[in-house]
Amino acid sequence: MIVFVSGGARSGKSQVAEQRVLSAAGDANCYYIATASVYDVEMADRVSRHQARREGQWVTLEAPLAIDQAIAQVPDHHAVLLDCLTLWAGQVLFGAEPNEEFSDEQGLALLAHCLRDAQARGLTLVIVSNDLNEELIPNQPATWRYVEFIQCLHRWLAAEADSVLEVIAGCAMEWKR
Amino acid sequence: MQLFIGGACAGKRDAVKARFPSAVWWRLSPGQRLHEATHIMQPSVPLVLHGVFEWLAAVQSLDISSDVLRAQWRGDLESLESAAQTHEVTLVIIMNELGRGIVPMARDQRRLRDLSGWFSQDTASQSEQVWHVRHGLVQAVK
Repeated sequence: MIVFVSGGARSGKSQVAEQRVLSAAGDANCYYIATASVYDVEMADRVSRHQARREGQWVTLEAPLAIDQAIAQVPDHHAVLLDCLTLWAGQVLFGAEPNEEFSDEQGLALLAHCLRDAQARGLTLVIVSNDLNEELIPNQPATWRYVEFIQCLHRWLAAEADSVLEVIAGCAMEWKR
Repeated sequence: MQLFIGGACAGKRDAVKARFPSAVWWRLSPGQRLHEATHIMQPSVPLVLHGVFEWLAAVQSLDISSDVLRAQWRGDLESLESAAQTHEVTLVIIMNELGRGIVPMARDQRRLRDLSGWFSQDTASQSEQVWHVRHGLVQAVK
């Protein structure tokens, strides 16, 4: 079961996604793949807010880039949340570490590998991302490349997912089920 | 008339191609007027109009008031729709949703965003159907 959850900043998409994972998990452990790299105080605060919400049955796996390796650690038939695709996409294109950039094709292939692994092993995989293409896009080439890449991932994911949700002010709207 | 609206790289053109595979496509180029598309209408063949964002980006720099531009757009839409009905043509217009971010600091960017929003409202108002395209998925909003 693949679920794609997206929305604007502070729309409540992570909470909606966490609830989906908890519902799927029942009493079993839930897995959380954190893609954020902590590079300043604000980011540390953001991460700690997310961590404070997740207690008890959550197991956190940190994966700024290698989301395939993180997914591989999740036992069969368990539920896992990947939060979020937006940060991961930035790290794919521009590198979490020097000389770690990937091409668009390599990034999409890595995500596709994760989905195939999750489907083959009966995981419930919930992926969170930001909607950021419905505004005036700054015309710097790097920004355009990022928007094109993240939208390529979003379109592919929306086509592959069993369920697609848009979150507005904490309310989930179904685009696909 | 049908409007397909969505953000950058949302999959708008693919959505339209899937629904109107035999359509004629016409890009509104800077300097042109929308009603000029009348000249390429073919009876009973859907006509897809696109390129509105780039056209607006060129138009917004001209010394013409937003109200005049908007009135002109509405008039052109009416002319076009009238011709489309005569020729039994389904008109499809593709436009960008770009009003969901922070208000831009630059005056020309604010004007571009305002015009785009107003033109979209006017087009939606005259359309029988409006579709929101998001991540390649399509949902009816009118």
